[in-house]
Amino acid sequence: MNIDEIFDNTSFTIDREPHIIVNYEICTGCDNRGCVNSCPAKCYTWSEEDQKMTFVHDGCLECGTCYVVCHRDAFTLWRYPRGGFGVAYRMT
Amino acid sequence: MSKTYQAIVIGAGPAGSSAALVMARAGLDVALVERGTFPGEKNMFGGVLHRLPALEEIFPDFWDRAALGRHIVKKGVTFMTGDSSFTTTIESGNFDKTPFNGYSIFRPRFDNWLAQEAVKAGATLITRATVDNLVYKNGTLAGVTVVGRTGELLAPVVIAADGVLSFIAKKAGLRQPTFNPSQMAVGVKALVDMPREMIDDRFGLVREQGFANEFVGCTAGVRGGGFLYTNYDSLSVGLVFHLASLRVSGKTPYDLLNAFMEQPQLAKMISGGKLQEYSAHLIPEGGYDMIPELVGDGIIVAGDAAALCNATGLNLEGINLASQSGVLAGTAVIEAHQNKDFSKRGLSVYNKLMEESYVIKDLKLYRKAPHMLHNDRIYNEYPELMCSFMEYIYRINGAPKENLSKLFLKSAKEKVGLGNLLADGFSAWRAL
Repeated sequence: MNIDEIFDNTSFTIDREPHIIVNYEICTGCDNRGCVNSCPAKCYTWSEEDQKMTFVHDGCLECGTCYVVCHRDAFTLWRYPRGGFGVAYRMT
Repeated sequence: MSKTYQAIVIGAGPAGSSAALVMARAGLDVALVERGTFPGEKNMFGGVLHRLPALEEIFPDFWDRAALGRHIVKKGVTFMTGDSSFTTTIESGNFDKTPFNGYSIFRPRFDNWLAQEAVKAGATLITRATVDNLVYKNGTLAGVTVVGRTGELLAPVVIAADGVLSFIAKKAGLRQPTFNPSQMAVGVKALVDMPREMIDDRFGLVREQGFANEFVGCTAGVRGGGFLYTNYDSLSVGLVFHLASLRVSGKTPYDLLNAFMEQPQLAKMISGGKLQEYSAHLIPEGGYDMIPELVGDGIIVAGDAAALCNATGLNLEGINLASQSGVLAGTAVIEAHQNKDFSKRGLSVYNKLMEESYVIKDLKLYRKAPHMLHNDRIYNEYPELMCSFMEYIYRINGAPKENLSKLFLKSAKEKVGLGNLLADGFSAWRAL
């Protein structure tokens, strides 16, 4: 299972409007960044070089792990996608 | 444009659809609001659908009628290390007779079936609708708003069955404003397709029989466990991790899942299969102490939204508790309509029904289980101890034998320490 090929296996209807907005400034000052390793969809990437977090909502499985592990409340917005958008499971 | 109902249910999962079903059957005008394009689209689980006593009462022919998979006749527990495993299984003739003890299911099919039963009973299913707020009028709960839609859905009472994060329970002030990662687990799952005959042969199954297995020791020391179960023509394989432990481990769920699927014994079980779908979901594993306030003015919380999940380490129950709480929530709303009282007091019959049901009784009984499971030795040292001890028992190589109980104590001393063994045994005995 290659997480970078998540779109080959799991279906998504991607909303151009993100349902999660992260305040990266808070991430830069974070001593933990448990979101990076805990997110099952690899939506969070931390660049050591640039000291910068990147979050992409496209492959988000809407599980809520980041919402729970973030102890800095770095979310400007965290809600579920608009109706009809986001992950669409078929056989789970 | 606003529409008015007698009750609004947020979330068409097992809790919400069960609630909508009983209310619609009692003649109430119910809106069942679901954010997916169809009920079940957003839902995943990992394991077995246990018996649903409340639904079996409504549908005496439940097992013929519901969208179920194989019925589970064989259950196993495996203690696993990097290259060895020790498994115990129970296969019972009783598990092969109706009422069956459990099923494998696909949530997009099962949840949709249940929601459609609510629709048949008269409920209005509104899909593609993410509820984002509660509406209050003159200080009283009056309905909900939906993301991206103008107008409101109005009703004097709302059932929040909106899942594990329940933003609605938060907005109603019923749940804690933040979650504790040590009360949450995340599950990841791979759906691997495989011809039905291959599954039957490989796992020793006939007809509609199914197999479900739990694994411990397969999470590289992260607190958690694994599962594998058979669908008709696919296998579901996955891992569950306690979030507090996963967060500090620095490990990723997908790398750990890959390592699990590559463990030699597991690899044999899934070889020849092809990955079809990858999914993830949170599980509220805090037990009784995590349950929010279940009732507020004009609102009742049910299912995962109420953290109704019983994780003892041997069984993981959630859908059954969700469905039961949904039926009881619906029953409470029917009574509130008869009395025209939707206040917290008017709805408090739900608290009473829940206290009397197995849902709260079981969660109280296993109140200490979540704490017991926060013991790293369970996930590393004990599986190693089991495997190495069993390996010793079966290894006959001409070396003189040792007394087995002495040997067990010796390896236990090495792996976990005798004090820990005693303490852990005591903790498990108290918790279970």
